[in-house]
Amino acid sequence: MNDMRLIDRAVDMKDIKFSARNVQVYYGTTHAIKDVNVDIADKTVTAFIGPSGCGKSTFLRSLNRMNDTIDICRVEGDILLDGEDIYDKRVDPVQLRAKVGMVFQKPNPFPKSIYDNIAYGPRIHGLAKNKTDLDEIVESSLKRAALWNEVKDRLDAPGTGLSGGQQQRLCIARAVATQPEVLLMDEPCSALDPIATAQVEELIDELRSNFSVVIVTHSMQQAARVSQKTAFFHLGNLVEYGETGQIFTNPVDPRTESYISGRIG
Amino acid sequence: MTDASANNSASGKSSLLVQDARTRNRNAVEARFKWYGITAIAIGCAFLILLVTAIAFNGSRAFRQTFVTVPVTLDAAAIEAAEASMMKTSQYRKMIEAALLTEVSEANIETDMDAGKLGDMLSSSAPAQMRDFVLANPDRIGDTVSFDFLTSSRVDGYLKGRVTRESLANDKNLDAAHLDLVDQMRDIGMVEKRFNIDFIIGSDASEERPEQAGMGVSILGSLFMMFVVLFLSLPIGVAASIYLEEFAPKSRWTDLIEVNISNLAAVPSIVFGILGVAVFIQIGHLPKSAPLVGGLVLTLMTLPTIIISTRAALKAVPPSIREAALGVGASKMQSVFHHVLPLAMPGILTGTIIGLAQALGETAPLLLIGMVGFIATNYPTGPIDGFLSPNSAMPAQIYEWAKRADPAYYERAWGGIIILLVFLLAMNVIAVILRRRFERRW
Repeated sequence: MNDMRLIDRAVDMKDIKFSARNVQVYYGTTHAIKDVNVDIADKTVTAFIGPSGCGKSTFLRSLNRMNDTIDICRVEGDILLDGEDIYDKRVDPVQLRAKVGMVFQKPNPFPKSIYDNIAYGPRIHGLAKNKTDLDEIVESSLKRAALWNEVKDRLDAPGTGLSGGQQQRLCIARAVATQPEVLLMDEPCSALDPIATAQVEELIDELRSNFSVVIVTHSMQQAARVSQKTAFFHLGNLVEYGETGQIFTNPVDPRTESYISGRIG
Repeated sequence: MTDASANNSASGKSSLLVQDARTRNRNAVEARFKWYGITAIAIGCAFLILLVTAIAFNGSRAFRQTFVTVPVTLDAAAIEAAEASMMKTSQYRKMIEAALLTEVSEANIETDMDAGKLGDMLSSSAPAQMRDFVLANPDRIGDTVSFDFLTSSRVDGYLKGRVTRESLANDKNLDAAHLDLVDQMRDIGMVEKRFNIDFIIGSDASEERPEQAGMGVSILGSLFMMFVVLFLSLPIGVAASIYLEEFAPKSRWTDLIEVNISNLAAVPSIVFGILGVAVFIQIGHLPKSAPLVGGLVLTLMTLPTIIISTRAALKAVPPSIREAALGVGASKMQSVFHHVLPLAMPGILTGTIIGLAQALGETAPLLLIGMVGFIATNYPTGPIDGFLSPNSAMPAQIYEWAKRADPAYYERAWGGIIILLVFLLAMNVIAVILRRRFERRW
């Protein structure tokens, strides 16, 4: 995983998963996201970068309507998932969130056993017909999150007893277990040490084969390492969006260039 | 520039081994503050010790009562005559007095009192006790049965040091000669002070018979009230707090409700009492003095406490848990009931038990709905009777005893407080145990 791989990142843009058109997000009277247009491809890692407070997390959270839980938050414009408007009146956000899973900044396992952490999503969505099914889902999810070998002997142990990096991978396994189509990650490595970060990054790269992954990150190196597409946000605007290689080596907008080279942000 | 650095520049170098004036001053302030704290705690502890010893000293005497052992021959003819007469117990009284006189003279205790005067040292509950025994055991008629009768509260008070010969000078029930007899009867073991279970399980008695009064019926009254409070205030309180904390939109209306709930917690309990009279008794036509009404009034009083503590417990659950549940596609309801509520459970239980304990010790609202001053002499016949028939409650019973004239009742009020405190202590222990059991770290 190093910058040398930037060259072989041709992305097939045929399958568009998310399509955002003229999206505005307001917190009360604050205009947090201004007129964002973006197409997020399937089976691709898309990174959102930008300085703190630029709105990248806000935009990410509007993709699975997590912002609904904030009373003063208001979203305008269209966000289409596979061509359907997720803010349509008929859409139940609970159903949407089963399709669009989320991993948070701080690892937040439930204070239950490792097994129950993974099994919770499949249980409430009725994904497993019986105990054997559920066991299989738990095993495959933990394997996908590269955690199986470390925890297979103590599935009854509390999830909160794991190390920080293991907890974050447990949360990823939990998100994967509900079989989402898109995985949103809000700075998933900001609370982890470099070794755990490397493990999670490797994992993200593998997840790309099954999901569309959208990751918000503060670390430009991380964006360069794991993503194929990068979007640069600044003061609520989507300044530039393109191939990761192009953004980092040959940015079009002067603001992107200043941020990448460390002059702003 | 600070003083310290000014000193440094003046003297060139300062030694770490010598404290400068500013550091000395700061340390002195800190030491002084520590002493203030220790003094405050010491004063608090002193008051607590004073309170506990006063209660233990005054109250423990109520648990022991003076009994006189009298063998009475259950003469069939006399009993038949007594049952046929209008004043049944006075006939039984004559039998007991005669037996007592015989017993005293057989013990070679000299007295010039007649049987009636001698009988003044017995509690007026003695004839009823004997009659109850006869009615319950008709096959024992003809035998000689040894009864342990309660002595009058003055004899009991004499053995406890409350009554002296001087204080009996103006007493028309008992005089100093009785006390001389009591001294001799005690020497031969006829009169004895021993543990009196009836104080805990018995019922209240009339003003003239303090020796017979017990807490039992009012304990039951309190328990029936607590059932009402628990089964109403816990579900209502928890449902209200979950809605306000997790579901309610933040609007002017919910703000108004929140402020009012907080204010309700500070409303004097007597206000809830008068509300209970107006709503439950005058409009709702529920029976007066009933534990059901008492429970309803105390529910109103306990609800704000439970709502406030439940909301605090829900607030203390980290929001990341809610996000995690929503993130895997749980509904709001699932996130609350599967994850938030179990984590808030210890806090909710603690708040509920504190609310119940508060309700258990509350007297003022019971004054208004007539649960004070009522003499609860009969046990309820069943659960429905327990909720609906007039009764008292522990604190109300204590208050009632404390305002009666006879000093023997004063002693019982202290004893009642010990029983009340034991119940409160038990509830607190339950709260601690439940909290330990449900507590989960994350």
